[in-house]
Amino acid sequence: MARTTTNAGSGMLERVADRDSDLTAPAPVSTAEQLLTRIGTGDREAFGELYDQTSARVFGLVRRLVVDPAQAEEVTQDVYLEIWQTAPRFDAARGSALAWMFTLAHRRSVDRIRASQAARDRDLRIGVRDLDVPVDTVAETVEIRVEHERVVGALEDLSELQRECVSLAYYGGLTQSEIADRLEVPLGTVKTRLRDGMIRLRTALGVTT
Amino acid sequence: MSETNEPREVPQPHDAAPDSVDALRDAVAAYGLDALDADERAAVERALADDAELRGEAEGFAETAALLASATAPVEPPPALRSRLMAQLDALPQQQLPDAAAPAVPAVRAAPSEPAPAVRRAELETGPAERAAQRRWFQRPGAIIAAAAASVVLIAGAIIGVGWAGPNGWGAQREMAAIAEAPDVESSTHEVEGGGAVTLYWSAEQGRSGVVVEGLPDVGETSTYELWYIDDAGAQSAGTFDVAGGETWRVLEGDFAPGVAVGVTVEPAGGSPQPTTEPIVVIST
Repeated sequence: MARTTTNAGSGMLERVADRDSDLTAPAPVSTAEQLLTRIGTGDREAFGELYDQTSARVFGLVRRLVVDPAQAEEVTQDVYLEIWQTAPRFDAARGSALAWMFTLAHRRSVDRIRASQAARDRDLRIGVRDLDVPVDTVAETVEIRVEHERVVGALEDLSELQRECVSLAYYGGLTQSEIADRLEVPLGTVKTRLRDGMIRLRTALGVTT
Repeated sequence: MSETNEPREVPQPHDAAPDSVDALRDAVAAYGLDALDADERAAVERALADDAELRGEAEGFAETAALLASATAPVEPPPALRSRLMAQLDALPQQQLPDAAAPAVPAVRAAPSEPAPAVRRAELETGPAERAAQRRWFQRPGAIIAAAAASVVLIAGAIIGVGWAGPNGWGAQREMAAIAEAPDVESSTHEVEGGGAVTLYWSAEQGRSGVVVEGLPDVGETSTYELWYIDDAGAQSAGTFDVAGGETWRVLEGDFAPGVAVGVTVEPAGGSPQPTTEPIVVIST
């Protein structure tokens, strides 16, 4: 904590000191990227810390897709075990740690839905729940809330047809063919809406490629 | 428009790749949303392995899709999950990066990186003791992850930094490792007339099985190997596979039930709903 190096670069030192004081505040001590790097060397403590920081968000996403709580728990477990196993391969240059984890959680959830639920059940479930942009408002930190609002805003800026398709895919876990069946529109139309919608979202969310 | 009569700039070496650049671009957006079925997904992944520009596009869509997760509400998982996870870590080997340079230039179908396949094939043919040794090799999940699937992981990992997808992706690797680690795992190796061998691993407890094939001839782009669960009710497809360098492995689709037989046939590309040829091997359990 008390780094007492004295040299001419005092500006630098102050910045370090500032950051240290920030880090000893309630905010998380390490970023998810740093934790993943440590996990990649077999650091169990870092794994526990990453879990504590992220599990509610990962579980929230999985629960949205895999409605059954027991199955959602299993999927979440698989996700974290995969994180543990594959952390050595995580490359921060390719994207944020959270994005990596969400991508993984989404894929696993979708695979679980498709493997375990009859299409009919899924249709029924989506019919009741998932057509709209999620309007969940809970968010425990400012950072998460800001991001949440940014994403909801970007979704709202899509055309209604685009939003419907993107939501059915991402929050409902449907394939493009299932979406076409469900909306009774040609598959090509769904593909176009998904693509245009994703391009608009990418721009609105400032994702650079 | 002006391109209609031009030959394709980049010949597509893979059978199931979508036809046009536009179709691929559409598919990549859907891929980022996990909105493709298994076949479409596999086709996109093959295309991505060949095309750096498309890969960049896919990474952008993946990142965009991941941000959509931020619009869902956090939900605390049951407290027991944490301790259950922590208890499992020691038993799970981590995948080390085998070669830092490799992801930069993803090979389309990297040769299997198993150590000396020829030697292992020879072992298979020599007798039960060697067979047991081979089984022990296989039963170490670290070994299967590092060896049998490393090439596939590299390819998938190069695409978007995470490679769970496909029949040899990380999800499948974990399944395969789970079968191999099961307390009740059994295996049976059968040599195939005309060369090669198929080893079936199964766990009645898990209701899953997987095959490791070695030395099978490549059946070309118009044909594929297809796996079947066969019981009194008939044959049920358990997925298809193609061999690279004569070798691959596959977790069978569907549930394994004790007593079922597993067969392999050669079918037209894409597989058949029912076998159309005589099986090259049938393994009973």
